[in-house]
Amino acid sequence: MNVASVRDLHFRYGEREAIAGASFDVAPGEGVALLGPNGAGKTTLLRLLMAFLHPRSGSVEVAGRSTAGLFPEDLAGAVGYLFQRPEDQLFRRTVREDARFGPETLGWDAARADAAVDAALHELGLADVAHLHPYDLPLPKRRLVALAGVLALEPKLLLLDEPTAILDRSARALVVRALRARRERGTAVIAVTHDTGFAAELCDRALALEAGRVAADGPIAGVLGRPGSVPLPAGAELVRRVGATARSLRWDDLVTALASRCRELRE
Amino acid sequence: MTVRFDGVSFTYPGSAVPALRDLSLTLAAGEVTWLFGKLGAGSSTALLVAGGFAPILTGGERRGSVRVGGLDPGDPATRAALAGRIAYVSAQPHLQLSGLAETVFEEVAFAPANLGWSQARIREAVPQALARIGAGHLAERVPTELSGGELQRVVIAAMLVLAPEVWLLDEPASALDPGARAAAYGLFREEARRGAAVILATEDADGALEAADRIVVLEHGAVAQDGDPAAVLASDACWLLGAGSTTIGELWRAAMDRTPAMARGSVPLTLGAAVQRVTGR
Repeated sequence: MNVASVRDLHFRYGEREAIAGASFDVAPGEGVALLGPNGAGKTTLLRLLMAFLHPRSGSVEVAGRSTAGLFPEDLAGAVGYLFQRPEDQLFRRTVREDARFGPETLGWDAARADAAVDAALHELGLADVAHLHPYDLPLPKRRLVALAGVLALEPKLLLLDEPTAILDRSARALVVRALRARRERGTAVIAVTHDTGFAAELCDRALALEAGRVAADGPIAGVLGRPGSVPLPAGAELVRRVGATARSLRWDDLVTALASRCRELRE
Repeated sequence: MTVRFDGVSFTYPGSAVPALRDLSLTLAAGEVTWLFGKLGAGSSTALLVAGGFAPILTGGERRGSVRVGGLDPGDPATRAALAGRIAYVSAQPHLQLSGLAETVFEEVAFAPANLGWSQARIREAVPQALARIGAGHLAERVPTELSGGELQRVVIAAMLVLAPEVWLLDEPASALDPGARAAAYGLFREEARRGAAVILATEDADGALEAADRIVVLEHGAVAQDGDPAAVLASDACWLLGAGSTTIGELWRAAMDRTPAMARGSVPLTLGAAVQRVTGR
């Protein structure tokens, strides 16, 4: 069964049309990058999936339930949402307590909550700052704390709004690894991003929005680099330009392709 | 105006570890200086100190001397003299909205109106500033209803309208789509050519390399490397600091571990340079 199903979805802010007819399904374990220019409707679509907003017409089903009449908290056990400014969602006195808020509120027993929180903090490299106040950490780290709180819920679907913005390379690598591990365990991920390298690392599929419409939806290698739309990640562009062939747009495959092309040319 | 740090240390309240340690740097007018470093290296703090926001708004303790155009931005008595001359773009642009404007036009007009500009001057300058950052179409929108990338453009326009002498930019393109991002970096270069001192703190090495005249790599709040962006970024010394490189630089280094012959010569950082190294064209 699909973890999200969207049918002929329309949404307006007042007179301004934000989503102008979108339909797609997302299966368990799938990774979908939501791409497109500023103002295309990416965040609006994410908010519709989490029932922060409700369709003007058409339907949204998430985790087997129509969002009509639902509030975001009704989906809290099944869907995790990372805001574009996730640092605003931190409010407890320590990193650990903050990440524990979701599991506690859902009534998990202490052992289960502790295990989930410890795992999430560890995956994101936060174990050694778990005792600190989130606001004593630099902004990029605060964003990781918010993500840890979302991962600790062990949701079936992760809705992430720009999860790698302002992260440095090592923090970004931790996020990729943590999200890939979740996908392998069956969690579906829908990530709004302008970071096409991150999109290629995490997702097999991309959905490109333009002016509220789905302009492209398919395997990520076909959507990235589409003329007039989302550019190919720089590494993939290099591999293409030197005449090498990579198995996928993932980093390891690009490294392999570039290294063997250079070896070939030297021999 | 020149921005000058002399032996500056800064410690946030409640922290045992200084965020800046004995930092001495002179940042010239007419240049884009890129502050780079691992997470927590001190780039954002350096901007806050240069703008006077630290310690005035953050609390904490500053030592040493900070001068912007010869004035101490951390001294409340200099605020009037520096008003409208220093532009700060935060990594959290939503915190910079006035909260009083009903349209984007009014938002961008907010600082000029507070500085006592005439209506005629405001009506001329605001659309120009919005257009330069590709936000002309947003003029009648409600600021609180903008998307993250739209908001980032509006906050940049709200500073651009003032023709500031110093730009303090903290991840200013983080929410922009690729086209808008390239345009924003181009704009920061133009601002430096106009004579502003542009100080850019970002992890986005691909964009910053195109824009910067100089790179300063920070480590634990002190200067670890300082020089030509391409030369510093290609160096092994910079790589070993762990802050990273451009996408192409990182890909090249990873491939180099598998094909050692690629290590001959310096590490290419841009697409064009890497294509040339591989194909000879």
